[in-house]
Amino acid sequence: MKKHKKRLMLLAGVLVLACGAFVWNFFFRQPADKEQWSLIYVPKTEDGTNDFWTSLISGTRMAAKEYNISLEVLAPDAEQNVELQNELIEEAVLKKPDALLVSPSSFTESAGILEEAKKQGIRIVFIDSYMEEDLQDLTVATDNLEVGRKLGEYAGTLLTEDSKIAVVGHVQGVSTAIEREEGFREGLGEKEKNIVDVVYCDSMYEKSYRLTMELMEKYPDLEMIAGLNEYSSVGAARAVKDAGAQDRIRVVGVDSSQETVDLMEEGIFSGIVVQKAFKMGYVGVRETVRLLNGEKVEKNIDSGCELVTPENMYASEIEKLLFPFDSAKTQDEGK
Amino acid sequence: MKMNNIHTRVLGKFKSIQSAIFMALSILVLCAVIVVTAVSLQYTRSSIFENSVMYTQTIINQMNQNIDSYINYMENIASLVSGGEDVQEVLFREDSGSESRNRLKDQFHTILEGREDIKNLGILKVAGNALINDGTEEINPNLDISRQEWYEKAIEADGKSVLTSSHVQHVVKGERPWVITLTESIKNADDPEDSSGVFFIDLNYSAISELCDQNSVSDTGYVFIVDQDGNIVYHPQQQQLYNELQTENISLVMESTEDTFQVKNGSEERMYTLSRSEKTGWTVVGCINVEELLRTSNQARSIYLVTAIVLIIVALLISSLIARNITLPIQRLRDSMAKVQKGDFETADVEVLTENEIGSLTRSFNVMTHRIRELMEQNIHEQEEKRKSELKALQSQINPHFLYNTLDAIIWMAEGKKNEEVVLMTAALARLLRQSISNEDELVSIGQEIEYARSYLTIQKMRYKDKLEFQIEAEPSILAVQIIKLALQPIIENAIYHGLKYKESKGLLIVRGYEKEEDVILEIIDNGVGMDQEKLEHIFDRHKVNYHSNGVGVYNVQQRLRLYYGSGYGISYESREGEGTTATIRIPKRREADHEEA
Repeated sequence: MKKHKKRLMLLAGVLVLACGAFVWNFFFRQPADKEQWSLIYVPKTEDGTNDFWTSLISGTRMAAKEYNISLEVLAPDAEQNVELQNELIEEAVLKKPDALLVSPSSFTESAGILEEAKKQGIRIVFIDSYMEEDLQDLTVATDNLEVGRKLGEYAGTLLTEDSKIAVVGHVQGVSTAIEREEGFREGLGEKEKNIVDVVYCDSMYEKSYRLTMELMEKYPDLEMIAGLNEYSSVGAARAVKDAGAQDRIRVVGVDSSQETVDLMEEGIFSGIVVQKAFKMGYVGVRETVRLLNGEKVEKNIDSGCELVTPENMYASEIEKLLFPFDSAKTQDEGK
Repeated sequence: MKMNNIHTRVLGKFKSIQSAIFMALSILVLCAVIVVTAVSLQYTRSSIFENSVMYTQTIINQMNQNIDSYINYMENIASLVSGGEDVQEVLFREDSGSESRNRLKDQFHTILEGREDIKNLGILKVAGNALINDGTEEINPNLDISRQEWYEKAIEADGKSVLTSSHVQHVVKGERPWVITLTESIKNADDPEDSSGVFFIDLNYSAISELCDQNSVSDTGYVFIVDQDGNIVYHPQQQQLYNELQTENISLVMESTEDTFQVKNGSEERMYTLSRSEKTGWTVVGCINVEELLRTSNQARSIYLVTAIVLIIVALLISSLIARNITLPIQRLRDSMAKVQKGDFETADVEVLTENEIGSLTRSFNVMTHRIRELMEQNIHEQEEKRKSELKALQSQINPHFLYNTLDAIIWMAEGKKNEEVVLMTAALARLLRQSISNEDELVSIGQEIEYARSYLTIQKMRYKDKLEFQIEAEPSILAVQIIKLALQPIIENAIYHGLKYKESKGLLIVRGYEKEEDVILEIIDNGVGMDQEKLEHIFDRHKVNYHSNGVGVYNVQQRLRLYYGSGYGISYESREGEGTTATIRIPKRREADHEEA
């Protein structure tokens, strides 16, 4: 009798405990939230006039919001300002983020700091550009050879055998400039020999404008000017427009902005290859988060590019690329 | 009968009624709880699904209506403006007076002022006049409006209003916003041959997104809108979609004929609910993560399970209590019965705890035990009385054979003039008779008993003459010890008739009495023929009544000794064939006080 009761009580006790554990497990222990990673992104610049960087940064911010991580953007005011960028990277390293996303302005000069950061266990992710030294855990960039190649191939169709071509690069020695030029030459094929000059505008509209003016003076029979980024393309296009040479000289370029589109509508630009900046930024953050979560990620991710011509510029697919969609903004305001 | 079998088989498995009741109650409760829980779980799951589908449907239908009425409102504006005379004036008459242009400007201005959701509105005509907003915005000079989709659609629709979803509006210089455009073509009222103009209103995204954000379908669910061509009008992740960072099952939405469907994409299952609008041709789609629904259902399930388990525990405890309460009186009754079975009536009374069947059973049992006890006591008393009276009857009479034989012997002796012997024998007989009649007590002293034996032996010795010799040796200390009456004589008689009588030569009988420790031993030793084993074994049999004596046999003596002194006392026999027999009577020297009364 007593033994029976004891056993019953024991059974009841075990059941109550099991119940309690179950309830606890279910109602109080929420499924372990993924850790809130802290990321810092140092782009080359944040500049209201430059749609590429604006769009890229908005991509990173949207991904950060979607994956619920903290993202800080430390941007230099001008693209060629390597020193300032290095200072910002140093500042970022001091904050000890889980990952540091960088779009290095220089092919070599930031290596020291980044190596230090890597030693501290900070993951390094390159976005848009990379560096000579293999410091990164992950690179998300446009395949710049492909950008150049698309531009070159299209440019080739606009030219005759002997049409003279000039190239306005952005910053000498930067990976993107090197690769785009290489791709451009590849895309031109035979006509590559017609490149008469390559100049560098240091990512400044004014310098590009000035250099283009000089080029037009130097080579009066110039038929094409190719810009390798937004600053160089727009600067060149402005110069051609101001010189009234749009019937004689065709301008092709890389990266779009409101002005690029206007200039294309005006018939100055014959073609632009646009990078998918928003996608690049978004994928950069998304893949970094996956990397931090220990998932398997590809080491090199190509965010893609598209050729825009006056013929296809109003097509829905291209519009989506050219004009930033601000639903996110209105949604934020709405909420 | 069969039922009974099953009954016993099932219930017989349990050692006690308590566990049987406990198990029966537990199983019943368990079954009930399990069935109820299972039914509610099933019902909950399906009702959660149905509810969420219904809820989503209600919401998106509401959204669709909101959008319809919103577009309706815009169409009203469009028809109001495009039907006006000022529009004709501005669009089609070259020398348009600035007066109607100003009036139109004012009208546009008023509309724009009142509504933030209108991005642009205006009228324009290919290679013709135009007025956009309040006229301050410059028209994009490089844009071929005839190639713009919204313009083409308006002309094609010929006077009907058309919606162009989600596109970039290039018409104003320096601005390229994403808008939804409502257009209506305007015919030249004076010249039907003239190409038509177009009135357009660009609607901000905020207008639609606000409509969609007003209600959320669930925590992780969202609403999006596609137009009749499958283009996205609104999607919370439009930018990601446009940048190929997200995908949406638009083709499934377009193909679906049902109002709702589920899509499994890897580990993620989504439920889409559709609402199509006749007016706009748009489809509002509510998308819910099935996992979220399941989570709600799982939560409900856990609550049910926990409740069920708690119920079961409580039920188990209660049923154990009930079983205990029911069977406790039965168990007490059983324990008491076991006591009664062993003859313990003293503590057999059971307390009556309840007034139910078991209570009355207990009461009856108590009455019964009391009655049995009374009867037993009465029986013992009666038996005692009977035994006493029987003994008295036996004691009070001398065996007539013995008396007859003795008197015969006296006659012979008188005839032979043996005066001395006659006197001796008659004296012994008289003593014997006096002794048997005079004392009515049950107990006598050993001395008295020995005297009685001596009188008897004297008579017998004279009767058997040369055949019998006897000696009596008793320690004086034992003579005062009490012994039950008529204990010694029957044993002596037995020794004479079964031992010495058959002996050829003269026999000797010795009666010896002495103390041994706390007991008194009386030995009756004869050197007669003795007994074999079989005879020895039957010596205490009841039927062995000695006819020669007064009917008090060895059996009777043994019974009385045992009854009076306890089983440790009584007669024991020892015998050897041809050599003699020894009977030993053992009684306690000191008698307990309580025996005095018995």
